[in-house]
Amino acid sequence: MKQSKRVVLGAVLTAVLGGICTGAAAKGDIVGVSWSNFQEERWKRDEAAIKAAVEAEGDRYVSADAQGSNEKQRADIDALLTKGAKVLIVLAQDAQAVLPAVNAARQAGVPVIAYDRLIQDPSVLYVTFDNTEVGRIQARAVFAVKPRGNYVFIKGSPTDSNADMLHAGQVEVLQPAIASGAIKVVGEQYTDNWSPEVAQRNMEQLLTKNGNKVDAVVASNDGTAGGVVAALKAQNLVGVPVSGQDADLAALNRVARGEQTVTVWKDSRTLGAAAGHYAAMLAAHTKPAAIPGAVIWKDGSKKLPIAVVFLKPEAITRDKLKLVIDGGWATKAQVCAGVAAASAPPACK
Amino acid sequence: MNALVQVRGVCKHFGGIQAVDNVDCELHEGEVVGLLGHNGAGKSTLIKLLSGVYPIDSGEILVRGASHRFESPRDARAAGIETIHQTLALAENLDAPSNLFLGRELRTRLGLLDTDRMEHEARQVIQRLNPNFTDFKKPVSAMSGGQRQTVAIARALYFNARILIMDEPCAALGPAETRMVLDTILRLKSEGIGIFLISHDMPDVFEVCDRATVMKNGAVVDTVKIADVTPEDVLGMIILGQKPKSKEAA
Amino acid sequence: MRSILDKAGFDARFSALVLALAAIWVALAVATDGVFLSPRNLYNLSIQTCVTAIMACGMVYLIVARQIDLSVGSLMAFTGMLIAWTQTNWLGIDGNVGWLVSIAIGIGAGVLVGVFQGWWVAYRGVPAFVVTLAGYLMYRGAAFLVADGQTLAPLSDNFQRLGGGLQGSLGPVWSWLLGAAGVAALVVQTVAARRSRARYGARLAPLWADALKLVLIGGALLAFVGVVCAYPDPASEDGGGKGLGLPVLMLLVIALWLDLVARRTRFGRHVWAFGGNPEAALLSGLPTKRLLLQLFMLMGALSAIAAMITTARLGSGTHSIGQMAELYVIAATVIGGTSLSGGTGSIAGAIVGALLIQTLDNGMVLLDVSSAKRQIFIGMILIAAVWFDSLYTRGAKR
Repeated sequence: MKQSKRVVLGAVLTAVLGGICTGAAAKGDIVGVSWSNFQEERWKRDEAAIKAAVEAEGDRYVSADAQGSNEKQRADIDALLTKGAKVLIVLAQDAQAVLPAVNAARQAGVPVIAYDRLIQDPSVLYVTFDNTEVGRIQARAVFAVKPRGNYVFIKGSPTDSNADMLHAGQVEVLQPAIASGAIKVVGEQYTDNWSPEVAQRNMEQLLTKNGNKVDAVVASNDGTAGGVVAALKAQNLVGVPVSGQDADLAALNRVARGEQTVTVWKDSRTLGAAAGHYAAMLAAHTKPAAIPGAVIWKDGSKKLPIAVVFLKPEAITRDKLKLVIDGGWATKAQVCAGVAAASAPPACK
Repeated sequence: MNALVQVRGVCKHFGGIQAVDNVDCELHEGEVVGLLGHNGAGKSTLIKLLSGVYPIDSGEILVRGASHRFESPRDARAAGIETIHQTLALAENLDAPSNLFLGRELRTRLGLLDTDRMEHEARQVIQRLNPNFTDFKKPVSAMSGGQRQTVAIARALYFNARILIMDEPCAALGPAETRMVLDTILRLKSEGIGIFLISHDMPDVFEVCDRATVMKNGAVVDTVKIADVTPEDVLGMIILGQKPKSKEAA
Repeated sequence: MRSILDKAGFDARFSALVLALAAIWVALAVATDGVFLSPRNLYNLSIQTCVTAIMACGMVYLIVARQIDLSVGSLMAFTGMLIAWTQTNWLGIDGNVGWLVSIAIGIGAGVLVGVFQGWWVAYRGVPAFVVTLAGYLMYRGAAFLVADGQTLAPLSDNFQRLGGGLQGSLGPVWSWLLGAAGVAALVVQTVAARRSRARYGARLAPLWADALKLVLIGGALLAFVGVVCAYPDPASEDGGGKGLGLPVLMLLVIALWLDLVARRTRFGRHVWAFGGNPEAALLSGLPTKRLLLQLFMLMGALSAIAAMITTARLGSGTHSIGQMAELYVIAATVIGGTSLSGGTGSIAGAIVGALLIQTLDNGMVLLDVSSAKRQIFIGMILIAAVWFDSLYTRGAKR
């Protein structure tokens, strides 16, 4: 009797201790973050949010910047794995080119979160604002102002899969009007590197080609929208509806002045915090499909089933500017700089 | 009578190598002094010291009795020494007048280059040396070896050098052009210009030189009057460092 | 044919380049139903070319002197951000003090970077490729740090005029005045040059050749003024012409000045001599180290001016401007006849080279060609230009 009691006690103790040890091992994990190009404007806020969430979970934040290079991202991910990352958060420079690195992580037993940009691998957890929904929001806001006329699409970078997802959302909303002939697409160009300079030049040329008969521009982010607005200004066409994305301070100001119709606020603090918390859960061996809020999504170009958490983006038009000010994202002074009192939006009065 | 140039006890080392070791030599007006020696004997370095490319470590260089310290090629030129380097130091992409006036360009009242006047002046001095030289817009890269040599010599002459240093002027030239250069040297000699001449060609040396200073391993073996020695003697000095038998016998 | 051109004093290579550009213009005009040659598009083309062309003027000097500068694009971004930051975060966008000081700061920073890079090359003997490659990385990072990656806007209205957009041009009156003054200056210069040569009894180019040159160049200038004045200003009520854009004016001033320096000053002569034979320059007592330092300072200043125009045009300071600029600038310079081995270069050629590259980009967007295909075409033209150049120089040597 005594013998078997000892065995049972021993087993219980082992289980308890084992449980505590496993729990203890989950703390102080290294969360490796591979940025594709940290220099773009918005990622600083994402980083701050990820870092805060990671550290709140008791883990360590380590990052690398691939500076726009696929090769470097591969090397960065290898380095993060070598450093002992227990989970990776990857902002892919190129959805295809990053696959070998993701495979390497999977073979090392390290779960991967695809951050904001899709990685077409069934083992990842894709955390993003619904980029197709962003595209829909952009198109809806512009369509509301101009339901008929000549449309121009200033798309994102040809190597960024997000650019195509945005465009798909935009087209989805506008397709009925295009089919009925109410909307005529008179120009469509990708923008290398999402560069505002390139967007400005392309817009100038499209305006020339169409003799200024452009009634609306669906631009895919605020940087390119800035280039589009500059080209419109030079032709005295300010007021033509233009869309954007990211809620850059300069763009919010343009919305307040009436130079841009809508920007889409993806509060990157929410995205970053979510990624940070999910990273801790994945490091503790939760499966991606089991993450709260995750759905299995099969609409990527390869039709692979991927676990995705879609966060909801907010449309910021003239009337909604108060949201970003109240949310602490931008100050009233920044949003309303130089806005004439007579034509000011409600948030600036 | 004061010598044009007096080199006294000049030394120069590079790192651990003594390139010029306590060298004495002299040059008088209207004479050609040959600087002879095998490769690496220190002749080119001595030339570079005299033309201001390198500063001397110790010793003295006197020009017309006055001691000089050359910090740059401009200082040497200012003292009246013009050098025609072995590589000619011509810019291939520029024409003859540009090269002639390189570093000393003539300017108009507005401060711009006076290209027409420079071409005119260049024409005067170059055609005196070589009446067949007519294209003054042609770049140096399109010129023959003899024409390039002419430009280099003309550069030295234009600025009224009384002291000329010529480093292997005939090395890359054919017989006709060599003849032209030697005739020019003889004519300059007769005009009272003093010339240091580096050459490996014994017949040339014996034709134009009055005296010869032979160097070996950075030091001077001896300075002799050409009239007193034979080519074999000189070769012996160059290769073996042996003073000439005729002198020893005397 | 070439001998006739030589006797007439025409640079055969430059003439061929201009003819090639003209051929491309005709082809594009046909393909776009004339839109390419519309006054509006030519005005836009002139503005779009200015940034690359201005930097190419400085790159000519550097490449002639056997150097290179790979940092110009990143330097553009850095100085551009400084200019914007000065306006938005320090001196404000009202009045004129703010933006004027911002320009001074931008150019000053460009020159300082030039001193830094030039010092390493000239006084420490580090190859320019290495130093400026480091600059390519460093100044892009520095540009990001100026505003932590943010886009800075809005900028001063007066400053934005420098971009050639709204109220960014001279208008018809001043444009025609300048055009007439330019032609007059050309005539005076040709006459004075002939007189100077005659005074020394030198061989003169035939009168018909000089007259033809005058007609062609003067004609081109007046035609350009006419075209840009025919473009109705979108901002004016009476539909008056836009005239010469302010960036174009800046390019003309810079190009004329640097061309004059290259051909008619000691400094220019020394740069070309150094490029032809650095040893000869040294032996002739030229201040070679100071020369190199000054070239990098010049390039820094020109990059800042290019940044000023781009930032004014965009109406905001972003740290992503100038990406790939160094490659287009070098390509323009090489297409224009500057040899990468040094000693040969042409300001006018570089500007035509920049115009050629921009023409292709401009025209192809009008034809809805995708960006990937545009890049392939431009690369192929660059190869063709270099191949043509090597054929020409081989022929000339024979």
